[in-house]
Amino acid sequence: MSEAAAGSRPARPPSSSLRWRVLLALALAAVIPTVTVGALAIVRARADVEREVERGALAHIRALGAALDGTLQDARRTVELAASTWADDPDDASATQRLIKRLKRDAPIVSALSILGADLELRYGDPVPRGVDVGSHSFGGYIGEAHREGGRTVVHLVVQARGRSGEQMGVFLASLDLGFVRDVIANARLGQGARVLVVDGDGVPVASTAPEPDAPDARAEPPGSLAGIDPAVDRALGAVEGTLSANGWVSAYRNLSSYQTQRGVRWAILHQQPEDEAYALARRTTRDTAIVGGAALALALALGAFFATRLTRPLAALARRADAIAAGSAETGPPVAGPGEIGALGHRIEDMARRIAERVELQALLARGDRLATVGVMSAQVAHEINNPLTTVLGYAKLLQEDKPAGHPDREALEMIADEAERMKSIIGGLLEYARTPRQSERRLGTGPRDAPPPTCEVAAVVKHVGALLGPQLKKARARLELDIAAPGRVAIEAHALQQVLVNLVQNAMQAMAEASAAAPDGAAIEIAARPGPGGVATMITVSDEGPGIPAADRARVFDPLFTTKAAGAGTGLGLAVCKHLIATAGGTIEAGDRPDRRGAEFRVMIPNAA
Amino acid sequence: MVRSRLVWLALIAGACGREPAAPAPIRFLHTFGPEETELLNRVMAERRIAVDPQLVPFARGQQVIGEMLRAGVDCPDLIRIDATWLLAFVAGDLLLPVPEALAKLDWTPEAAALGGGHAVPQTVDGLVVVRERSRPAPASAAITDLIAAARAASGPASQHPLGVRVDGYWFMPWLRAEGGELSPEGIDGDGALRALRAFAALFGDVVPRPPPAGSEAPEEQRRWQARELAYWVTGPWQIGVLPDRERLAVSALAGAPRGGQLLVVPRCARRPAEGWRLARELTEVAVAVKFAEGFSTVPTREAALARAPALVGATYRALQASRPLPRDARTPLLFDDLNAALAAVVAHDATAEEAIAGVRRGWKRLSRAPRE
Repeated sequence: MSEAAAGSRPARPPSSSLRWRVLLALALAAVIPTVTVGALAIVRARADVEREVERGALAHIRALGAALDGTLQDARRTVELAASTWADDPDDASATQRLIKRLKRDAPIVSALSILGADLELRYGDPVPRGVDVGSHSFGGYIGEAHREGGRTVVHLVVQARGRSGEQMGVFLASLDLGFVRDVIANARLGQGARVLVVDGDGVPVASTAPEPDAPDARAEPPGSLAGIDPAVDRALGAVEGTLSANGWVSAYRNLSSYQTQRGVRWAILHQQPEDEAYALARRTTRDTAIVGGAALALALALGAFFATRLTRPLAALARRADAIAAGSAETGPPVAGPGEIGALGHRIEDMARRIAERVELQALLARGDRLATVGVMSAQVAHEINNPLTTVLGYAKLLQEDKPAGHPDREALEMIADEAERMKSIIGGLLEYARTPRQSERRLGTGPRDAPPPTCEVAAVVKHVGALLGPQLKKARARLELDIAAPGRVAIEAHALQQVLVNLVQNAMQAMAEASAAAPDGAAIEIAARPGPGGVATMITVSDEGPGIPAADRARVFDPLFTTKAAGAGTGLGLAVCKHLIATAGGTIEAGDRPDRRGAEFRVMIPNAA
Repeated sequence: MVRSRLVWLALIAGACGREPAAPAPIRFLHTFGPEETELLNRVMAERRIAVDPQLVPFARGQQVIGEMLRAGVDCPDLIRIDATWLLAFVAGDLLLPVPEALAKLDWTPEAAALGGGHAVPQTVDGLVVVRERSRPAPASAAITDLIAAARAASGPASQHPLGVRVDGYWFMPWLRAEGGELSPEGIDGDGALRALRAFAALFGDVVPRPPPAGSEAPEEQRRWQARELAYWVTGPWQIGVLPDRERLAVSALAGAPRGGQLLVVPRCARRPAEGWRLARELTEVAVAVKFAEGFSTVPTREAALARAPALVGATYRALQASRPLPRDARTPLLFDDLNAALAAVVAHDATAEEAIAGVRRGWKRLSRAPRE
C-alpha cells in the first residue's frame, strides 16, 4: 500500500475497538480474581471436606474399635475373675460346673470353655481345640488369633487360673464368638456405599457390613486374606491408623493392636467407601461453588458489558465528533453528554471545535485581508499615478468648459468629462484614504512612534460637527438629522476617522432615503445616537434611517471593498469598507442591521472608551 | 557413525520406555508402640525404603513370632524382638547369624552383649530412677538410699513419693539386693523371701498402693504429672512420653534389670539381605538419634549415643550400673508366676512364704516342660 493510499485510508472506527478493549479489561478484571479466588476456594473447600470425611470415618472406626475391644476385654476380665475364683478351690467339681454354666449364660460371647489343670490336662468343660497354645509366657494369658471354627469366626482366650497366693492352678481356655463384631458394626450408621471391615492379623476378614454370602455355615469356605490384595488392609496391618485413597475407594483404618499393648488383639478395622460416595459432598460443594462462581462471573461480565457500552457510547460519539472536526466540519452542536470527565471532555471538544472554526474563519479572513492589502497598496499606487493626470484632465475640462458659452454643443460633453473626472478623483481619494489608515493601526500595535499619544476624541463634539458639516446636503435631500447623545465622553479613535465614518454612514442613509424623503412632507429622519456600551468600557453609536433597510443577504457583504448596491456610477463600493477598516483599526466593531422597529436600516458602531 | 547413533538412540529409548521395577517392600514384623510406629513409617518414607510393616502386640510377641517362624510360612524379612526372647529363637535355630559387616559396627558394650551374634541391637533399656532436676539424687544406687531419698521427699502433697510397679521386672533390684536372681535356683534361699517382704512393704508406705491390673502405666504417668511422685523407677519407654524432659534427671539403681530390643532375620525370610539392609538403616546414626530425640530410646552405637540428647546419655550411664537378666530361654516365662505372687503379697492375699512357695512350684513345672 502506498503512503498516499495509507494516508487517504479512512480512519478505523475506534468505538468498537475501545468497547472491546474495555470489555476485555473488565473481563480480565472479573475473570482473574473470580477464577483465582474461586479455584482456591474450591480446592480449599474440597480439601477441607475430604479431610473432614476422612476424620469422620476415622472417628467412626475408633468408636467401633473401642466397642469391639471393650467387649473382648470385658470377656477377658470376666473369665479372669471366674478363673481366679475357681483357682481357690479347683477340686470342687460341682461348683466348677455351676461356674461354667453361669459364665456361658452371663457372657454369651463365650461359646466354649475348657478348664485345664496346672499340668495342662483337661479337667472340666469342652474339649481343648487342637493347636491352641495354653502355655505360660503370655503375661498371664492372651487372646489368640481369629480363626474359623464350625462356620463361625472365633478367638481363643487363654487365662491362667491363679490362686490366692498367685500360684497357677490351671488354665481357662474360652472360645469367644466374634459374631458380636458383625452385630456391632452392623449397627454402624454408614454412608452411601460404605462398609466396615474387620480383619485379623493376617488380613483375613473377621466381619464386614457388606452382604455376606457365607452367613453361619459350617461348610462355607473361610474367606481368604486380603493382605496383598487390598492396599488399605496392608496399610492397616502395618500402621496405627490413617486414611488411604486407592482403587477408587477411600479407606480409614485403625490397627486395634495398639489399643492395649499388653493384651492387644491382632486385628484391624477399616471403613471403606467408594470415592464417588465418600467425596460426594466435596463434589457437590465443588459443583455448587463452580456454579455460583460461574453465575457471579457471568453477571459480572454482563454488567461489565452494560457499563462498558454505557461508558464507551459517549466516547464513541466523541471519537466521531473528533473525526468530523479532523475532517474539517465546521458545524457546531450541543456537546456530547457523558458522566464526569467524559462530559467535561465533550464540552472541551466543542470548545475546541468552535475555536478551530473561528481560527479557520480567521485564517480565511487573513488570507483575504492579505489579498486585499496587496490590492490596496497596488490601488493606492495606481490612484497616486492616476490622480495627477486626472487633475490635469479635470483642470483642462474646467478651462474648456469656461471657454464655451452656454448652449455650446461641446459644453455638455465637457461637463460630463469634468463630472466623471470628479467622480474618478473621489474614487481615488477613497482608495488613498483606505491605504493611508494603517498608520493608525501601526500605533495601536506598537510599531509606530512610541511617544505618540493614543488618539481620542469627544463623541458629542464629533457628532455635532458632522451635523453641521452635512447640514446643506441634508437640507437639499429633504432629510433631517436627529441627535441623541447620551454618552458624550471620549472614545479611543481619531476625530477625523470617526467623523469620516459618521459622514459616510449619514450620506449612505440620505441616499437610501431619497424616495422616502421625497414622499414625506417633512422629509425622513436620520438619527445619530451615542450611548454607553455594555460594561461601560465602550460607547455604542448608532446611525439609523427610515429607508428600505439592507437585505439580509447583503448584510455580510456590505463592508466588503467595492461592494455596492447603488446604481452604476452612484457609489464607489469603498465607503463602508473604509468605515469598517477605520473602526476595526481603533479596536471597535461595526455591523449593519434593521432598526428595532424594522422601519429602516441601522448601523451600530462600538468604540472603546478612552482610558 | 549413523549406525552408532542409532544404537545410542535405541538404548536411550529403551531406558526411557522401561519403568524401573518398584522394589518389593521389606516385610518387617515389629513390636513398636503406636507413636514409635508412626515415626518408623515416617523415617522409612523419608529414606525412601519400601517397608511393609506389621504390628505385633508386645505381650504376645514371643508367642506369635515363635509360631510364625516355626511354621515357616509367610515369614517376615526382619523382626524386632525383646532381648529376652532371643535365646528361645536361637535355641530353635530360627534365626540367621548377623553378617560380619554389621557385627563390626561401633556398638556400645551393653548393646553388643545383647545381640550375641544373632541380632542387631536396636536399643538398650532397663530400669533407672527418674526425678526432677530440682530433687537431690539418691546418695548411691542402692535401693536403701533410693528409699531414704523418697522418704525425705514425702510430705503433705506427696505421701507416697516413690513410683514402683508390682511386677517381677521391678522386683529384680530387691531380689538381687538379697542375693537372689530370676531363675529357679535364684529364689531358693531366704533372700527371695526377705526381698519379697521388703518389696511388698513399700506399697502403702513410700510407694502408692497399686492401681488395678492393666492400668499401671497411665496411673504412674498421672501421678508423675501431678508431682505425687518424686522418684520413679521406670525405663526409657516411659521417659520418652513425658513432657518437659529437659527438667528430668536420671540415676542408676543397683541390681536393676537391663535388656533391649533386637533386630533379627529369621531363617525363613524370603529376602534376608533386605532384612539386614533394613536393620542397618534402623540402626543408622541419624535414625537412632531421631528415635532418641522422640522417645528417649538409648542408641546402641557409640556415634549415635554421642549425638543423642543429654537425658538419653544420662540414661545410658545409669543403665551401665544395671545387670542383664539371666541369659536363659525360659527367663521371660518366669515372670508370669512371679508377677502373680507379687500381686498376691502386696494385696495381702498371701504371705511371702506362700507366694514364694507357689513361684518355686511353678518354675519347677516350667523346668520340666520341654524347651522351645
